[in-house]
Parts: sequence; structure tokens; C-alpha cells
Amino acid sequence: MKEALTLVQTLSAHPDSRCWFVSWNPTGTLLASCGGDKAIRIWGREGDSWTCKSVLQDGHQRTVRKVAWSPCGNYLASASFDATTCIWKKKNDDFESLTVLEGHENEVKCVAWAPSGNLLATCSRDKSVWVWEVDEEDEYECVTVVNAHTQDVKHIAWHPTQELLASASYDNNVCLYKEEDDDWECRATLTGHSSTVWSLAFDASGERLASCSDDRTVKIWKESPSGQGDLSWKCVCTLSGYHGRTVYDVAWCRLTGALATACGDDAVRVFKEDEAGDPEQPVFSLAAQAPRAHSQDVNCVAWSPTEAGLLASCSDDGDIAIWRFHQEA
Amino acid sequence: MASHFSSVLQLTDLDDFITPSQECVKPIKIEKKQGKSLAKIQIEDDGSYVQVNQDGGKQKLEKAKISLNDCLACSGCVTSAESVLITQQSHEELLKVLRNNKENATEQKVVVVSVSPQSRASLAAYFDLSSSETGRRLTSFFKCLGVHHVFETSFSRTFSLLESQREFVERFQRKEQDSNSLPMLTSACPGWICYAEKTHGEFILPYISTTRSPQAMMGSLVKGYFAEQQGLSPQQIYHVAVMPCFDKKLEASRTDFYLEKDETREVDCVITSGEVQKMLEEKNVSLNDVEPAPLDTLFSSVSGGEFLSHAGSGSGGYLHHVFTYAAKQLFGEEVKDLTYKTLRNNDFQEVTLEKDGVVLLNFASTYGFRNIQNLVQKLKRGKSPYHFVEVMACPSGCLNGGGQVKPKPGQSPKELLQKVEELYKAERSLSPEDDTRVAELYQSWLHSVGEERTKELLHTHYHPVEKMKNGLTMKW
Repeated sequence: MKEALTLVQTLSAHPDSRCWFVSWNPTGTLLASCGGDKAIRIWGREGDSWTCKSVLQDGHQRTVRKVAWSPCGNYLASASFDATTCIWKKKNDDFESLTVLEGHENEVKCVAWAPSGNLLATCSRDKSVWVWEVDEEDEYECVTVVNAHTQDVKHIAWHPTQELLASASYDNNVCLYKEEDDDWECRATLTGHSSTVWSLAFDASGERLASCSDDRTVKIWKESPSGQGDLSWKCVCTLSGYHGRTVYDVAWCRLTGALATACGDDAVRVFKEDEAGDPEQPVFSLAAQAPRAHSQDVNCVAWSPTEAGLLASCSDDGDIAIWRFHQEA
Repeated sequence: MASHFSSVLQLTDLDDFITPSQECVKPIKIEKKQGKSLAKIQIEDDGSYVQVNQDGGKQKLEKAKISLNDCLACSGCVTSAESVLITQQSHEELLKVLRNNKENATEQKVVVVSVSPQSRASLAAYFDLSSSETGRRLTSFFKCLGVHHVFETSFSRTFSLLESQREFVERFQRKEQDSNSLPMLTSACPGWICYAEKTHGEFILPYISTTRSPQAMMGSLVKGYFAEQQGLSPQQIYHVAVMPCFDKKLEASRTDFYLEKDETREVDCVITSGEVQKMLEEKNVSLNDVEPAPLDTLFSSVSGGEFLSHAGSGSGGYLHHVFTYAAKQLFGEEVKDLTYKTLRNNDFQEVTLEKDGVVLLNFASTYGFRNIQNLVQKLKRGKSPYHFVEVMACPSGCLNGGGQVKPKPGQSPKELLQKVEELYKAERSLSPEDDTRVAELYQSWLHSVGEERTKELLHTHYHPVEKMKNGLTMKW
């Protein structure tokens, strides 16, 4: 087997600023990016190249840290350091600001839509995780506020099929939440990382969760059956020795199962799972890497949901890079 | 460690509850003493700071202290630091006063304890007693310790309910002229008040009922009426409230409840239900073994030795009483049973009065931070349909307050709450209008002091706390 990561295109997405995050729409036709310039840009493919289709400005007063597409692809949510989350509605090729979700005490670090599209989660430096419910009239109401972390919450991710939410924090832990009776509760705390957990990604089935950390490792967690009603997730694999600095993001390709990482050492790496491995002790090996993928920290990696092997990354250098991960049999 | 504070306080400033926040903006006053020359500061083995003068003389340096009042005035944390609360208002403080009474014949204080019905129910659940029996035994326990009078705050709550009812009708009648008159939001929950003042200041405060909470009403009764009756100055009375809530300590420290002239607080100290249980444990006493004592009936709602309560929620029944009163007063409707409609969750309920398909009154109760959030956001967008909202910071309200006795090993919080609710509801309820002793006090005491003074005694004020913006409070 021979694998390689080849650069398709570089986009100067947020010049003179940082590009914090990129997100593919569900059909893989659009890529949204956000940055330190308070702007959100929407990129679309024209022939073989990617061009900017629209710029969403004036929605936020400070850095836009994350963007997320709704499962239907008609809404975009943006989380900002200005303590608000903006919901944008797609109208043909344009976007209009629909509503602003207020409530967090300070910087909103991440926003994520549940698979149903009826729930939205946000997390903040105020240590809380909020779940919002959307009704038919596009009204958002707060369903819960959970305070399971003792520090800044960096990232949240929904299970691909269930209403199970995961969060990663500066307190080195990952928390898992479910609705119980009348309210959401933290049902499991995954401890193991020795420093800030920066990001999370479920695999296609939702049976496993990957987390990446300032401790330069990636951990794979797997649900294990437990007697009591509580969730029990165990660390089944730790990828260490590959990353020279903080691992800022991890993305699990739902089509190929490849695991991509974004690292503070400017590199993008792709790992593949040994197919013959024991599910309780999976083995991942480095399949390909772009050591100088960007000229500064890589903040985010995102697999195209529809085109196998198509990967986007973005960096403190303000650029987006589009990559193709080839696997040759 | 889990915080004792209500969910709202926990969630608004999360910097820390152990020590004052980094953002504490309390300027530290340094007493400058005339000194000749240089000196060194040395840290001793016990952690204290000592100034060493050139001549070798040592002088212990004073630590900067932060009071609860400083905390209330500061925008650094939404709540004050837990350490400050615990040191300034604890059962230790009560014991200190009682000890002093025994040892010092000249400087006696008359010690008054006012127990909330929610605390009584919580301790009743812990000791498997009825709420009234718990009240009788608590009276006995406190009196053995040297407390002079044990009252209860259902009595003062009757004032809170009556005033809330009148305030609502008055606000409803001027709703066309004054857009800030409705919805009227309840004011009994100190966590909610603190949050409103620090987070939504100018915008939300006009909607909050000016009626005092039962604790603050009792403050007026004890340090006003009672002191006068007994021929005591307010300062000679030490007034302790037993509450289901840590945030009540903050409420007691508000300058609005401080008697400037007499240099004393209306409620000197608040201890929680859990702290009372701790006190019993420390004294090696189980309420099960305590002989019940007759109740002090001066400021207690009792009938035939049994406590009386109020209808409606375990958080004081504000919605119930204001609703029935307003229906009668404003629309001539006699409402016997209220139908609570559960909305988004159990802590968000609605009650409406309809006539010929027209909604005349639309009331809600919103408990817990998530529901308070939605209420505030709806108000900001002009989308709140309510005339009145009973707002409580704790999920499930006061019976589930942060200061209540914790579940026993093996007991789920839900089971315990259910038991506490049952015990609370088991007390017979009395309509505030039917309390003849309260009516008498309106007639005699309040009538004699005049309208303006009555307003001061039964109502209060709120103050927006401005966010401090300076280099020192910059967050990165």
C-alpha cells in the first residue's frame, strides 16, 4: 500500500489574520471558514478550483472561532469570542443573519448541530455547555446549561446518530452528556490526557471517539458495556510520538475511516487503522503527512463528507489548504 | 467540590468560589504609618507577613480583608467568594454570640432565630419527623443552646404575599401607561436578584417586584416591631435566619437591609438547613431524641400547636396567591384550583385565566438557570407573553435549595426532594388574608408608622452593578 497527501490548492482565506476553522456543508459542495478578522467566508468549487462565494460580515464583534452547518445544509452557526452565537440562513447564494444566541458569559468556543438538526450545542470559556432547541419558527430556546468542566470548554461534538454530546476542555477531560428525565447530565468523564483537550471526533458509527490534546497525543475511546445505567468509555489506543507540538484538531473520515490531525508543528498527518487489529486494541499507523502543510500552526482539519480523501486544513497563516489523500492498493 | 450556590450563581461567574476572584476590584486600603526608613517584609513559618524594621523590631502586618458588602458591590465575580461567606455568616458565629452571652454578663444580646418552612421540611425528612414536630424540636434545641426566641418565616411570608398581591394589581392597572410595569417578576430568590443586578441591570430591574422576601420581612419585624415592643435597641438583638439557601447570606448583607442609625443588620446571620444539621451533629444531638418545646407564637403561623403554611409552590406560592387575588380583584373571578401547564420542562409552567376565549391573566413559573435564560431573552426581544413570573434560581425551587440537607448514602436526590415536598405540603395552608395576627400588625404597627415608613419596612430597592472595565480586569 502506498499513500500520499497531495496539495490541491491553497486559498488565502483570511489574509493578515488567522483562519481558525473550516466546515464542509453536508453535500460537500461548500466549505465555510472563519477567522480572526471576524469574518466568515463561503467557498465553492468552480471546475477544478475553489473560489470565495460570499463573505458574512458584521455578525460578530470579535474573532469567529468555529462555524457549523446544520444537517440540512440551510443554516450556518458561528461561535465567536464576542460571547454570542450567530445563526445564518442560506438564501440562494446569500446568507442572512437569522438570530443571535446570547447567554454565555464570555467567549463562545464551539458550536455543533445534533444529527436531527433540532438541537444545537455551544460551549464557552465560562466553563459551561449549553444545548438549544430550535422550533419550526426558527426560534431558539435554551434546553440546558451543564457545568461539568472546571475550565474553558474548547470543543463539542455530537454523536453521528444519537443525542449524545461530547465536550473537550482545558481541564484535560472529555465529558459525555445525555438527557436524563427532565434535564441533560454529564454521564461520563473521560480522563487520560495530561493537558488541554483541543478537539474531538466520532467515527462514522459513533462507537468510537478520537480526542487530541496539548499533550501531543491522540486518544481513541470506545464505549464499553457497563452494568449500571451510566455510560462507560475506555481509552483503547493512544497515538504518541508522532506530533511535535500540540494537536489542535482531529477529524475522522466517515467514508474511509482515515484519521487526520492538525498540529502546532505546522503539519497535517493522516493515520490509518490496521484492519486486522483487535477492536479492543486497535492499531493506527501514520499513512501520510505534509510536514510543512502551513507556515504556522494548523488549527483545523476537515474531511469532505462526500468525496473520499478530500481534506481541508486551515492555519494561523490565514490560509486554507485543500488536500487529496490517495490510497493505492 | 460542588458549590453550594444556586445554579444561577454558579453559572454566571465561574471564575472561582474558593477565594475571591482575580477580577476582584476591591481596592485594598493600606494604613500608611509614618516610618523612618526602609524595612523588610518577611514571611513567617505560619504564613503570616511580618515587617522587620531596621532596628530589628518586628511588626505583624494586617491582611487585607474582603467583606460581603465589598463582594456585592464588585462586578469581578457575580457571587462573592465562598470563603468570605462562610467566615462571616456561619453557625460558628451564632455559637460565638451564645458563648459570649454566657461568659459576659454585661453585654447580653437577645438571640432570635427565624426558621424557614423549607428548612423545617428538609430537617424533617432527614430525621423522619413531621414538619411541625421538627419545628417543636428545633425550638427546643435552639433554646437549650441559649437562643431566646424561635420564630418562623411563614409568618413573615404572609406579609410578602399580601404585598406582592397588592403590588401586582397596582402594576397591572398602570400597564398601559408604564411599559416597565409588567411582567412583574418575583423577588424572593437572592440568586436571581444577584444575577439580575450583575448581568441585566437597568433592563430587568424595573420588572422585579419591590416586595421584600420573607427573610427580609422578618428582619423588619424583629429589628423594628419586636425590638420596640421589648424596649431593646436593634443592636441588642442578634437575629439569625435558617434558610434552604446559601445565597440568602448575600441577601442579608445587602446595604438595603442594614440599619445605618443603629449600625446593625436586620438579619445578622443566615445559616442553612445543612448547617443546622451540622450543628446538631457537632453537639451530638439527634432531633429524634430532643423533647419538643412549645412554640413561640409571636411571629409564627401556628394553630393548635401545628404550623400553617401557604398554598401553591414550595418556593412560597407567589404565583398561586397573586393569581387568585388578581383574578378576583381585577376580573371578579373566583379561582379555586389552578391548572399548571408544563411547558418545556417541569421547571417551566404556565397558568392562565381565560374568559370567553380571551386570556385575561398569563402567569408562569421559571426555575433554574436555563429557564431564567429563556425568560430574559424573551423579555429582551419583546416576546414574553406573561403578566407575572415566579422566578427561582434553583431547579425545582426552594425545597431543592443549595443549603438543604444532602441526601443520605443510598438516597437519590430525587427521592429526597419528593419526601421534602410531601412533608412541606402536609402542613395545612392558611390564606394570607385570613391571618388575623398579620392583619392586626397592619392595623396597629404599620398604621402608626405611616405610609412612607411602611413602604420602607415592607419593600426594597435594586441596584444595577456596572461591569468594571479596566486593564486589571482584562481577560485573555
